[in-house]
Amino acid sequence: MKRDALRAVAMFVLIALLPLAGDSYWLRLGTTMLMYGVLAISWNFIGGMAGYPSFASAAFFGLGAYAGAVAQKLGAPMGFAWALAGAAALVFAAALGVALLRLRGHYFAIASLVVAEVLRELVNAATDLTGGGMGLNLPIPRLASIEGQAMFFFYAMLALAALAFAAMLAAMHSRLGFGLRCIQQNESAADMLGVNTTLYKVAAFMLSGVFVGVAGAIYASWVHYIEPPDVFDVLYSVKAIVMVLIGGAGSVFGPLFGAALFLSLEELVWRNYLQVHTGVLGLLIVLLVLFLPKGLISLRRRTA
Amino acid sequence: MKRPIAGAALAALTAVFAVAASAQDTIRVGAPLPMTGPLSPEAVKQQRGYNLWAETANAAGGVKVGAKRMKVEIVYVDYQSNTPRAVQAAEKLITQDKVSFLFSPFGSGATKAASGVSEKYGVPTLAATASSAQVYDQGYKYLFGTFTPNDTLTEPLSDIVRKAAPGVHRVAILARNDLFPLAIAQEMEKSAKKRGMSVVYFEKYAIGTLDHASALTQIKAQAPHWIFATGYTNDLVLMRKQMADLKLEAPVITMIAAPAYQEWIDATGKLSENVTSAAWWHPAVRYKGKDLFGSTESFVKRFQAKYKTLPDYAEASAAAAGAILQMAIEKAGTIDPAKVRNALASFNETTFWGPVKFGPTGQIVSLEPPVFQIQGGKPTVIHPAAIRQGELRLGVK
Amino acid sequence: MLVLQVLANGLILGGLYACIAAGFSLVWGVLNIINILHGSFIVLGGYLAFFAYSIAGIHPFASILIAAPLFFALGYALQAGLINRMIAAPVLLTLSLTFGLDLMLANGMLVAFSADFRKIILDPPLGVLSVGPLVVPVDRLTAMILALALTGLLYLLLARSRIGRAIVAVRMDREAAALMGVNVKRIYAVTFGLGSLMAGASGALLAMIFPISPLVGPAYLGKAFVICVLGGLGSVPGAMIGGLALGVVESFGALWLGPEYAVPLSFTLLILVLIVRPSGLLGKRGYE
Repeated sequence: MKRDALRAVAMFVLIALLPLAGDSYWLRLGTTMLMYGVLAISWNFIGGMAGYPSFASAAFFGLGAYAGAVAQKLGAPMGFAWALAGAAALVFAAALGVALLRLRGHYFAIASLVVAEVLRELVNAATDLTGGGMGLNLPIPRLASIEGQAMFFFYAMLALAALAFAAMLAAMHSRLGFGLRCIQQNESAADMLGVNTTLYKVAAFMLSGVFVGVAGAIYASWVHYIEPPDVFDVLYSVKAIVMVLIGGAGSVFGPLFGAALFLSLEELVWRNYLQVHTGVLGLLIVLLVLFLPKGLISLRRRTA
Repeated sequence: MKRPIAGAALAALTAVFAVAASAQDTIRVGAPLPMTGPLSPEAVKQQRGYNLWAETANAAGGVKVGAKRMKVEIVYVDYQSNTPRAVQAAEKLITQDKVSFLFSPFGSGATKAASGVSEKYGVPTLAATASSAQVYDQGYKYLFGTFTPNDTLTEPLSDIVRKAAPGVHRVAILARNDLFPLAIAQEMEKSAKKRGMSVVYFEKYAIGTLDHASALTQIKAQAPHWIFATGYTNDLVLMRKQMADLKLEAPVITMIAAPAYQEWIDATGKLSENVTSAAWWHPAVRYKGKDLFGSTESFVKRFQAKYKTLPDYAEASAAAAGAILQMAIEKAGTIDPAKVRNALASFNETTFWGPVKFGPTGQIVSLEPPVFQIQGGKPTVIHPAAIRQGELRLGVK
Repeated sequence: MLVLQVLANGLILGGLYACIAAGFSLVWGVLNIINILHGSFIVLGGYLAFFAYSIAGIHPFASILIAAPLFFALGYALQAGLINRMIAAPVLLTLSLTFGLDLMLANGMLVAFSADFRKIILDPPLGVLSVGPLVVPVDRLTAMILALALTGLLYLLLARSRIGRAIVAVRMDREAAALMGVNVKRIYAVTFGLGSLMAGASGALLAMIFPISPLVGPAYLGKAFVICVLGGLGSVPGAMIGGLALGVVESFGALWLGPEYAVPLSFTLLILVLIVRPSGLLGKRGYE
């Protein structure tokens, strides 16, 4: 654990130096990468460690984005709005977890997938509070300069990613991590051995929600305009999963490396194959699943 | 196992960001467009307009900037019909591709979102497809739009209906819950109430709705004289068909914005007959402009020669945005952003698009949008009087 | 009166929904695979019917006969060549596989057909049927009857034919079926082929009713999710009842709560049903 922690500190310090090297486009890309990292790390709690195929990331992200944005619209300071978004996601994940984590396999996957759809339509319909389909504009932060703003959101996202990473490291080396791995391997057996599976699963689900919620709120402040189809986009859930699959489910550094690699691929494909880039993305996923499943599983075994 | 992954990530990153050098004597204009995803048909239209402007300008030797002539280059970026990605694309165009000017992404929502970026960097930005007043009332100085506010569509329409059919007083409104369709529906409600009509039904439907039967059944029970429905092509194709399925008929049926597109007329067939609509421009309008296209007729001719089809208002607006930008640059005699911005703010010229003058918020105030009706399978202008091709016909079955 | 008309609308819509979901439910139940491609297959079937009608004048009802063998072959090949390799993999991987394939197919259709919405316009139109004060569009009614007939045929195939019994056997107990000499991989391919056939055929029917575009696939897929959960997995009668129920619920939801709540209502229903009855309202094993 110590070695992992030291490596992680070194890595985050290195990332923190990025603004010295690049201009604001690099900063924006770095911020996106860290946001993807938060999504991947968060999914790792429930998907990688407990083995539950959750598609709820988009729901947490959108919920956090709207909680933060509405709070700011009503006059709350930015930092408070972010914390509020995290709290909202945490409470929502707890309630949702209790209800849904009794389901297994495809049923759980679909139920978690549909949650984002429901939230999106509710937000869409609540026009008075959220602006509905018209979207919601956030105040542009009155910070020193353009570079200052970009820098600010980069470091905010960096701090969140570091926090999520620390939580994951701590969880992995605690009873929680042990319990979750038992659940992944054989839930009924874990239950019989006296592991409080419901508690562990709900805890993992909450951890997978809270950071994503805050990331959504930071994102909303950062792009200062959100609308329901964008923040409740199912692709947030799918990307989180693909990133973890690339990097190795359940592993320590896998989600972050997966996020970095995925973002570079996404940018590469986006720039070079304009008309067919979603198709190319699909092909990548198919190839990954078909030709690397052994590698992925072996990665998981190695770290589990 | 991890090292190769990290290495690959790094290699991919460096491969991506080998940035092309920028040429000195071209004017680079950035255009983030939704080239893939649900809005991709719109991006095609925008691109046609922008490209026609750039090619026409370059064929004439380029844009006159002071003593020299500069060629135009449009830098396109796809934002996948995803609004935050549009904001990212706008920022990338400004900081990475070093564009001097920007054409806004598609629609009011994305324009509003991206306007923050161009304001931040002080880049003059022309919005070719944003009408909602909320886009312009943010106090921004660098945003200029070629669409008048939404009530300039519903007001003349209501006047015409009032005059032609004084008996029309029960109005039913069904709107897609989306920025422009909802905003124009709210304007319609105001316009109707202002004229003493009663709005007997006003509901929103969710994006992606596959069935309108319940809403239409309810509307039918209200026996309205005027049905006003908003949405995009797919929504209004389905809705028009379901109206016929339920034998829902009315003296006046107005749909916005789909009937302005040939695609909608093709997909509804005979059911499109007598449906009214309004848009910001129509190929039948006649203006003599001082821009590079000269007149509406010659613009339409050039467009047809290149694309073998009539331009619609979105395509014309994109070309107009380019023409207006060119005139502002030529007037300023420089591509200095602040000076071009001032030239746009004080702009007062006639173009093929119509008379162009921007109000204090940056939104155009000089345009009179035409009202039209599908008659004999073709859009027929019924307002303004100067360019009228036919009279309003009542009764939609 | 209003209520009766809305009920009629709902039942007819529900009949179409049933057809959307039957093949999806079969594949999920037998193969334990969520076929994300299902929505795009429906769209592809729609394009087939659209071009058959606009180019060769083949009526959409007739183009079902063309769509059926083509889509069966497509599905069979896809399962035998690709998905069978992953059949035993965890849920997440099979889901990702069909998701990736769907991205490719949807993108391919976008390039081939563009995102323009199209619709088959029958000439002459079939008109509407008036029963007292009720009005029922004939094209929807016919499409619904055909949809239910197709679904019924699928049910008969499973219940009566040799291959159908084998599919049911694999669904109920894969190992036992394998021991009895059933070629499980082949059965999987046949099942996936049947699922695709249902998707393609319903797509051909729906092309008269809904505008088609490569982008509407996910909307159909979402309906299939809800119907499967309402009706129970792998059960063809379940898909029929689930589809009818969804059509009626959406119609009355739109009437009483407002049209913007029709879609979230159906998804809320899905979650509630799963919480209360994790195996679906009519969930049971087998098809009998």
